Amino acid sequence: MDRRKTSWFSTIHTLALVFLGSIICRGSALSISLIERECVSENILHDGDTVSGNFVVMDHDIFWSSDHPGIEFTATSPDGVLMYALKDTSGDKFEFKARESGIYNFCFKNPSSTPETVSFYIHVGHIPNESGFAKHEHLDPVQVKIAELREALEAIISEQRYLKAREARHRHTNESTRRRVVFYTITEYVLFASTSILQVIYIRRLFSKSYVYHRV
Amino acid sequence: MENRPIWLPFFLFLLCIFSSFCHAVWLTLPPTGTKCVSEEIQNNVVVLADYVAIPDDHSHNPTLGVKVTSPYGNILHNKENATDGQFAFTTQEAGNYLACFWVHGHNEGGKDVSVNLDWRTGIAAKDWDSVARKEKIEGVELELKKLEGAVEAIHENLIYLKSREAEMRIVSEKTNGRVAWFSIMSLGICITVSALQLWYLKRYFQKKKLI
Repeated sequence: MDRRKTSWFSTIHTLALVFLGSIICRGSALSISLIERECVSENILHDGDTVSGNFVVMDHDIFWSSDHPGIEFTATSPDGVLMYALKDTSGDKFEFKARESGIYNFCFKNPSSTPETVSFYIHVGHIPNESGFAKHEHLDPVQVKIAELREALEAIISEQRYLKAREARHRHTNESTRRRVVFYTITEYVLFASTSILQVIYIRRLFSKSYVYHRV
Repeated sequence: MENRPIWLPFFLFLLCIFSSFCHAVWLTLPPTGTKCVSEEIQNNVVVLADYVAIPDDHSHNPTLGVKVTSPYGNILHNKENATDGQFAFTTQEAGNYLACFWVHGHNEGGKDVSVNLDWRTGIAAKDWDSVARKEKIEGVELELKKLEGAVEAIHENLIYLKSREAEMRIVSEKTNGRVAWFSIMSLGICITVSALQLWYLKRYFQKKKLI
C-alpha cells in the first residue's frame, strides 16, 4: 500500500513538473497592417508574470521618410490601468510586470493617413513560486533555476526577433533606394535628352522662313 | 488508488487547456471586412496554428472564414463557416505568409468577433510530448532538452541574420557604386548633349548663312 502511494505521488510530481514546464510560455510574432488603430489581446494566466516584447514599423513607401511621425503604443491591464505607453516611435521594446491575471490589450495607433505594417512580438514569462503549490509539495530549486534560465534564453530570442524585424525594414529601405536610384537617373537622362532636342527644334522654328515671313 | 482514474483525467485536461492557451493572441474582427496577420518565415520551417472564434456576448455563435496563403500565392488552408480549426504546414518558400480571417454568414447587431489565434513557428511548434514519449525522458531531463532546443533555435537565428546582413551588404555596395557611376554619367550626358546642341546649331546657322 505504501509503495503504491509513493509511486502515485511520484507520478503526480512528474506531471506537475511537466505542467510547470509547459506553463513557461513563449510568445507569438506576427505582422498586422495598421490603418488607424489596431488592438491585440493576450491572456495572462498568473499575476506577477513579466510581459515583454517589441514592435517594429515596416514603412510602406513613404516619400519623405524623415518626417514620419511614428506610431503610438499602449498596453492596458484588464482593469483599464495603463501599464506601458510609447509615443512617436518607429520601433521599440517594452517590458512590465503584470499585477493581475486576465486579458491585456496592446494597442497601436497610427496618426498619419498612410497605412503601416507593424511587426510585433509579445512574450509572457512565468517563473514558478511558492503560491502555486499545495502544502505538502515544495518547490524544487532546480525547477526555479531552469525557469530562470529559460526566461534568459527567451529574452535572447526576443531580441533576435526584434533584430530580424529591424533588418527586414532596413532591407525594404535598401531595395527602395536601389529602385529609386535606377529609376530617377534613367528618367533624368531621358528628360535631359528630350529637353535639348526640344530646345533645338524650337530654335530651328524661330529661324524658319515661315516664321520670318509672318513676323514681317 | 480507486479515486485516481476520476481525478487524473481532469488534471490532464487542465494541463492541456493551460498549455494550449498559453501562447495565443486575441484579435478583434470587424463585422465586415477582413483582418490579416502575416509573418516572414524562412524555408523549411514548421508552422502550427490553432484558431477559435469567440463572440463578445454569448447570444450567437459566429462563424469564420479563414484563408492562409504562401508568398507565391498558393493557398495552404481555406475554410468557410468554421468556429474553430487548425492548420499545419512546412514552409517550402521563404517569404511572407498571410493568414486572413473574416466573419462569415449573418452577424446580427454588427458585434465584434474575437479570434483566439495560436500561431507557432519553428521550435515553438515542436511537440515535446511525443519527444518525451519516444525517448522516454521526463522531468528535469525534458526541461533541459527544451532548453537545448531553444539554444539551437538561437544559433539558427544568428546564422540567418548573418546571411541576411551579407545579402544586404551586397545590395548596399552595389547601390553605392551605381550612385557614383550614374552621377558621373549624368555629368557626361549633360556635357555631350550640350556639345551636340552647339555643334548642330552652329551647322544650322552656317547653312542658313546667318553666321
